This record gives sequence, structure tokens and C-alpha cells, in this order.
Amino acid sequence: MNASLIGMLGVGAGFLMLLWLCALAVERGWISTHITRHPLVYVLALGVYASAWAIYGSLELAATSGYGYLTYYLGMAGAFLLAPVLLVPIQRMVRTHQLASLADLFAFRYRSRWVGTLITLVSLLAVLPLLALQVQTMGNAIYLMTGAASPATLALAFCVLLAVFDMTFVGRRQRIDGQHDSLLAVMALSSLIKLLAMLGLGGFALFAIFDGPADVQAWLEGPGQAFQSSVVQTDPAHWRSLLLLFFAGLLMPHIFHLVFTETRSRHTLLQASWALPLFLLLMALPVPLILWAGQRLGVDAIFDTGYLAFGLSESLPLKALAFLAGLAATSATTLLIALALSGMLTNHVFLVAHPPEAHHDLYRWLRWLRRGLVAAVVLGGWLFYRIVGVHHDLTSLGLAAFVGMAQCLPGLLALLYWPGANRRGMVAGLVVGVGVWLSGLWVPLLTGLPALAIIPPGLEALSGEPAWYTVTLVSLASNAMVLIVVSLATPTSEGERAAAEACSVDAVIRPKRLPLEVASGEEFKPHLARALGESVARREVDRALDDLGLSPLDGRPYALRRLRDRLQANLSGLMGPSVAQDIVDRYLPYRQGGPGATEDIHFVESRLEAYRSRLTGLARELDGLRRYHRRTLTRLPVGLCAFGEDGELLMWNDALARLSGIEGSGVVGARRESLPAPWNELLGRIIAEPESQLYKHPVTLDGTTRYLSLHKAALEGSHSEPGGMVILIEDHSEMKWLEDELVHAARLASIGQLAAGVAHEIGNPITGISSLAQNLRYEADDPEVVETTEQIQQLTDRVSRIVSSLVGFAHGGRHLAGRELVAVSIAEVVDEAIHLIHLARSREDVRFDNRCSREACVEGDAQRLLQVMVNLLGNARDASGPGDSVTIETVPEGSGVRVSVTDEGAGIDPSVRDHLFEPFTTTKPPGEGTGLGLPLVYSIVAEHHGTLDVESPLPESEGGTRISLWLPRHQKEGERPR
Amino acid sequence: MYVYRLMLFLVFIGYLLSPLMMSGWATPDVAWYRPFIIWGVLIALTLWLEQKRKLDER
Repeated sequence: MNASLIGMLGVGAGFLMLLWLCALAVERGWISTHITRHPLVYVLALGVYASAWAIYGSLELAATSGYGYLTYYLGMAGAFLLAPVLLVPIQRMVRTHQLASLADLFAFRYRSRWVGTLITLVSLLAVLPLLALQVQTMGNAIYLMTGAASPATLALAFCVLLAVFDMTFVGRRQRIDGQHDSLLAVMALSSLIKLLAMLGLGGFALFAIFDGPADVQAWLEGPGQAFQSSVVQTDPAHWRSLLLLFFAGLLMPHIFHLVFTETRSRHTLLQASWALPLFLLLMALPVPLILWAGQRLGVDAIFDTGYLAFGLSESLPLKALAFLAGLAATSATTLLIALALSGMLTNHVFLVAHPPEAHHDLYRWLRWLRRGLVAAVVLGGWLFYRIVGVHHDLTSLGLAAFVGMAQCLPGLLALLYWPGANRRGMVAGLVVGVGVWLSGLWVPLLTGLPALAIIPPGLEALSGEPAWYTVTLVSLASNAMVLIVVSLATPTSEGERAAAEACSVDAVIRPKRLPLEVASGEEFKPHLARALGESVARREVDRALDDLGLSPLDGRPYALRRLRDRLQANLSGLMGPSVAQDIVDRYLPYRQGGPGATEDIHFVESRLEAYRSRLTGLARELDGLRRYHRRTLTRLPVGLCAFGEDGELLMWNDALARLSGIEGSGVVGARRESLPAPWNELLGRIIAEPESQLYKHPVTLDGTTRYLSLHKAALEGSHSEPGGMVILIEDHSEMKWLEDELVHAARLASIGQLAAGVAHEIGNPITGISSLAQNLRYEADDPEVVETTEQIQQLTDRVSRIVSSLVGFAHGGRHLAGRELVAVSIAEVVDEAIHLIHLARSREDVRFDNRCSREACVEGDAQRLLQVMVNLLGNARDASGPGDSVTIETVPEGSGVRVSVTDEGAGIDPSVRDHLFEPFTTTKPPGEGTGLGLPLVYSIVAEHHGTLDVESPLPESEGGTRISLWLPRHQKEGERPR
Repeated sequence: MYVYRLMLFLVFIGYLLSPLMMSGWATPDVAWYRPFIIWGVLIALTLWLEQKRKLDER
């Protein structure tokens, strides 16, 4: 029963539509990312390795080589078993340097764009037979299903359909580089369909044609023996060679792309190390069952061995299952090969031949180029199939592809494990190996000419072996030998050596710090616009800034270097590493003539943090130690910062962040000069200072003067250690304030002692002088004598006042001892003070305005507080001009009352203000003030557990002074004032 | 890291000895599914090593 051609093409188009809808659903977010990003999806996507070979070719190989067909599956399974030692290092490299293909990796390691071109051309030549295999099987499958037209014509129709789909798919991808959930989902869906189809066919063979596993065994031991006699057991050497070839299948462009470029994480790759072999086991299991079922039914005489599944039943659904398995395998393989190869051709052939100029829309240009190449690759596969003809079996086509791709294996292993390999060695080895392969397999396949057997002397025994085996052995052996010999014989460039170190499995990446010519992220745009055009440059720089979470105005050298690296990596994903490096080196160069490069410790440290989970054993112990020391420095309760040799800030710890209010993440990597004030100047000063410390240096932070002590130490050690400086910053403000308090208290104490002595020694004689002068005044008649005695009395009064003030001051600290504090009404105290001031009959033109609340009561000694008010009001009066007013107010504040005395005078000179409460400090003319009033006020307020503030000049005017006292409010309920 | 070395060793031994696995194709004394059983055991071993690796790196 045959299906119609239209029906089959409809099935093909429907399948592709299903893939298209799947891609659409993923891109639009209709399917949860929990599903699309599940490791199972990735593992299923990797199943793209099971191409048409796995569906049809394996049957052919199983019929001739028995279990030899398993090498196709076991080779790739072996590669994944080695994931931790082989795949993970490659994945790390590919992700670090944003490499998208094998050609990118080789071009990066061997530091030559032409190496990338060579690898691309080898990949193209190697992949063509594999594409032809897909095309041939699909043409044959449609022919078997429909019997209409020739397989070649049907294959062309299939290719055209596939090319259109592939071009649409390229157009759908929002960006033409990077990871894509939709591609993985499409590949996973294809793999799932082919797996289910193969399991369905295997199940049908096992349970519908045989009667379970035991029946299969019975048949094999009975009638099946006749069929097995034609099987030639695979020679162990052939077996191992086949394993090696299929192991190298990892290097196929589409497999490499999926395994390394589309991988989400190292964890996913390690999951695949057992999950992919399981998938391949399930794919391989039905193969012998289908073969034996076909042989049992006798359809092997009607159908080619590869297509036996079509003969298992006349039922259309079962044939459709065989067709669908092949369709899913060939579509996915062809799509991915075309996508991967078009990227390689773009980056390593077209962009190398025609470097990108400032296109109006670079992305659009690249997308159309990729579309064209995708179509060309698919149709190239059909063309190769037409030239090769249908007389070749699937095994020959497949092996030709795998032997060709295996030529890159020596170069890849050298890339990972031998830093001594160089470009000349790799290219020479590859050319020799590819030459042997082309002459021994590829050209004979294409032309039908006999293979040009190149058998080295001493290996004549190989002449009787199959061509694929001889070519594999000779090409790989000569390739590896030439690589080793030439690499040893020729010099390796500095760039290659650095790249080799970066690519080595045990790579220790030691990036250098070099300053860039541009000064900020924003400045990258015009520089890059010269190469990429304005809009592309803007988008790429913004994208890189977004990736790194940096501001466009960030001018830190560290941030600029990261931005440059990210741009290079992003451009590498877009146009390949060679072109990306050229662009970045040319348009974003490092500054010439600056200080020598130093190691970028901060970057190394951030990389170590990122790779922490990968460290094991001693490395992990050392990293633990590093983290401990780092944490110690970061959490040190003293401010700490460290500068590199070139003046870049390498560390800014938590204590310093708290003190400065500047987060470390915002300044690390900046130069000292670009730090915010006053830190730039302060740190510059300690660095320039010949002494290793600055003691109690006053710094204004947030409007407050703080006293910081700075200590520095040079980090220069042995030659291997980087230079630089570490600076400790201690906040000694509290200590300084305490010291000031202590000095003040000591001065007050000494004045108190002095006052007591003065009172005793001067008081009595002065009283005597005053009494004598008074007597003389009463007894004398001479007006001159009377005037003189009055003057003597005035002067002795003045001396008495001074003595009285001194005594009051001396008693200040002890006055309240033993006395009960009572509720004192501030308003009444102020009224009384104003009254006393007016008694002096001096400066009566000054008006006192008592605005104190009658309710405001404080706890204290009314006489002492009166003394305070008399002093403050007297000072305010003396400072005021004619007609000015002095205002006294109270404001409740917290648990106390704030009393302020405000005058409208000229204000206090700043030089005097800081010493206002020190004894003998006065703003009055000589002879008018003792300089003891305010110290006395200070002492009395302190006795009352209050505080005293001075504001001068007032913020609302140019002059004026406001002295405000804060005194604790009286708490006792019902207590009457005074 | 010792898990990696063990895996490398096992894969290499497997590569050398794997031809022995195919000797049972259609011979009366060996079950036809034997290679698949061996393969399944290898997968289980890899899964176990993967779990060990996770513990080692924790």
C-alpha cells in the first residue's frame, strides 16, 4: 500500500510546521522555561547526533558487521563519558571566549584567522558526504512510500522544503548568535519523535513479528543461523578505529555547536555524560530487532537492507513510522549542519575575505548572508548526492565524513593538552592528514576513481584492508606525527603561547591591567562606530554594559577593561574571534607608553569566586584559605584599602565603606585621583607623605569634622609579588573629642583652684581698700579727693566682681552636691534675670522679649539657673546694637526643654567660637569682660545634665547669635514651680 | 579529581576491551541482548560516578 506523493510531502511539510510551531511557542514563552530549560531537553537535543545513519545506515552496517554497528553509538557515548576531562574544559574555553565553532576555537588557540578558514573548509568537505547521506535516505524513503518520481527528484523537493524552513528559522532567531531555547526545543522534539518511532518499530518487530525476546533467541539459534553466516565479524582493530572515528564525531560542526555553544551549564553537560549514552542505547536497541524481523519475513530480498523497516508490514501507519523516524533525523541534522556551517563560513570565509565595514544595518546584512549560506549548504548536500550518485552505500558516505572530520582531532588534543603545539605544526599535520583522506576516500567517492592508496613503507600489511581503515590509520598517524615534529622544529609566537596557556586544561588565567585610551563606556561608541556603524556600535556597547551591569559613565579602568573584554566576546559570537579581535585591537587600543602591565588581581579573584564550585582537593583548600584571609580583611573593624602599583584601587573594606559611605563595588578598580572627595586628596596625601602615618587628620565628612589616623605600608616584596600599597584608616574622632573634654575639664579645675586662692588673698585687702576709700570719702571735703575715692571704690567694686565671679566659677562643680533639684519655671527665671539686668541701668535701649512658655519647667537649682540666664542675657545685651531686641524662647524637645537666647548683634568671630567655653575667652573690649561667664554657664548646665549649643551667625540672617540650652524637663507630677 | 581519573581509566580500558563485547552476535550460547545489558551497566556506573563527583565537589 503506497501513500500519495502529495500526502508524503504534506507529512514532511506538517512535520516542519510542527517544528516551526514549537520554535514559536518557545520564543513567545507559551511553554514554561522550566520545561524548555530542563536538562532532559538538552540531552534529547544532543540526540541529533543520531542522524539518518542511526535510522537506516545502522541496519546496513548491522547486516554486514554484526555488532560493529554499535561503534556509531558507543564512540559518541565514550566522548560523553569523558565529559569532565574532555568536554568541560572545551566548554569553559568556548564560553569564556564566546567561541561558536571548532574553527573559532582553532583560530583562537593558533592565533590565525587562516587557521579558522582552513578548519571551516575541512568541515565543509567532511560534512558534504554526511549531508548527501541525509538527502539520499530521504529521497529513497519518499520513493519507498510513494513510488512516484525518481528518488533524486524527490530528494530535491525535500531539500528545497528544508532550505526554506531553515532560512525562515534563521530569520526567526532574534539574534544570530548565542544560546537559543527554540533551537534546543526543536532538536529535542525531533529526537523524541525519532526515538519513539524507533522504539515503536523495535516493539513491533519484537512482539508482532517475534514473540518476545526468547523467540528472538530461539530464531537466532535456529533458522536465523542461515542469515547470520553472511555477517563478517568486525576485526578488533577495525572496531577500535570505528570507535575513534565516531568519537571524533564530536567535532562535526552541528554536534560541536550543540554540545558547546548551546550548552546551558557545566552541570547540564555532566548530566548528559550518562543520559546521552542512555538515549543512544535506546536508539540502538531496535536496530537488530528490525533487521532480524525483516530477515525472518524475507523482505530483505525486496528492500535494501537500510530500508527494511518499510517492509515489516503493509500497514501504512507502520511505514509512516519508519518514514517519520528518518524524516525527524534528517531534518534536524540538516537544519543544524546548515546553521552551524553557515556561521563558520560567514565568520571564517566571508568576513575574513571582506571585513565588515560600517554597514547601515550590520545585523540585517549578516542575517541575509547566513540565510543565503544556509540554503547553499542544504542544496550543496543535494548536489554532492547527485554527483556521488546512488551507487554508494550509506556506510561509505558516513565513514568518508567521519574520517575527514577526525583530521581535526590531533589539533584539538594538542590544543587541550600540549601547549608546545604551534600553528605551523597544526596546519602542516592537518594538510597532510586531509591530503591522505581526500585522495584515499573523498575524491574516489566523488569521481568513482580508484583510491590513491598512500601506504608508508613497512605497513604493506594494510594493503588488504578496507580503504576507510587504511586511510584512517595513515591519515591520523601522519597528521599527529607531522604536528609533533613541525611544532618541535619551529618557533612558537608569543601570542600563541599566551593562547595555549589560556586553552590548556590546567589553565591559570592571569589577565594583565593595562589602561585604555577611552575614558568611559560612552566613549566606546564613537570608536566602535568606525568599524560597525553607529547603530550597531551603540547596541553592542549598551548590550555589553547591560551584561556587566555597568553605567555608561563609569570611568574605572577595571570596568573599562571588562567592558572591552565583553565587547570582544560578544563580537566574537557575532563574527568570529579573528574579526572581533582585529576590531577591538584596532578601535579600542590600550594606551601606549604607560606603566608596564601588572596582574589584574581583582579580576583573578572574581574568576576564582565564579569557578569556586569547580575546585577540588588542594586547590579547594587553598581557595578556602584565600577566602578566609579575604574575609578577615573585608570584615576588619578598621578601614582598609589597597592600591596596585599603577594606582588602581584593589580593595575597599566594609569598615571603610561604612566610614566613607561609599560602597566598595563602586570604587574598586578606579584610580585614586577619581575617588570622591575628600578621599582622593586624603589618600593621595598619605601616599605622598614620607612618614608612614598621618595622626588625627581632620576631615569633613557629611558636614562633620572627623579626625582620621592613616597608616600605610608598601606591598613590594619579592620579584614575583605585585607592588602597591595598603592603607589603614582609623576613625579617632571620639578619642579626640574625649581628649578635648579632658583638657577643658583640667583647665576648669586649675581655674577653680586659682579662683579660690585669689578670693582668699585678694578679697580681704580689696574689702579693706574699699572701706578705707569710703571712710576717706566721708571725711574729705576736697572735691578732687572725693572723686578719687569714688574712682577707687568703682575699681575695687570691679575687682570684687571679678573675685566674686572667680569664686562662683570655682564652686561651680560642687555647687549642686547635696542639694535637691526642684521644678524651675524657665519663664520666671528669665523674668527675674531681665529684672536684674535692668537694675544695672546699662544699655537700656536693648529690649528683652520673653516668649518662654509658662508651662516649661525644668529640674534644677533656680539660683544657679538664674546665674546662667543673667550671664547669657548680659552677653546678649552687650552684643546688641541700639534698638535691638533679645528673644528668649522655649521649645519642648525629647525629654527636656530647649531654651534659646537670640540676639541681633554682629555674631561671634569663628576664631573665638571654637574656644567660647574656655575660661578667659571674651569678645568684649579689655576691662569689660572677665571671660568667665560662659565657662560658668557651661559648668552649671553640665551640672544639670544639660547641653549647650551656639549658633552664630544665624542661618536666617548674616549676623546674630543664638545660644540654646537643653535641660531635662521636670518629671514629677503636681510639683509647683519654685 | 580522583573520580575523573577513574573515569578516564575506565573509558580507556573499555576502549581496549570493547571488541570482546561483540563476539556474541548470533551465537547460540550468548543472549542477543547481552551487549545492551553491559552497556546499561556502564551507564549505571557513570551515573554513580556522577553522583560521587557531586559529593566530591560539595
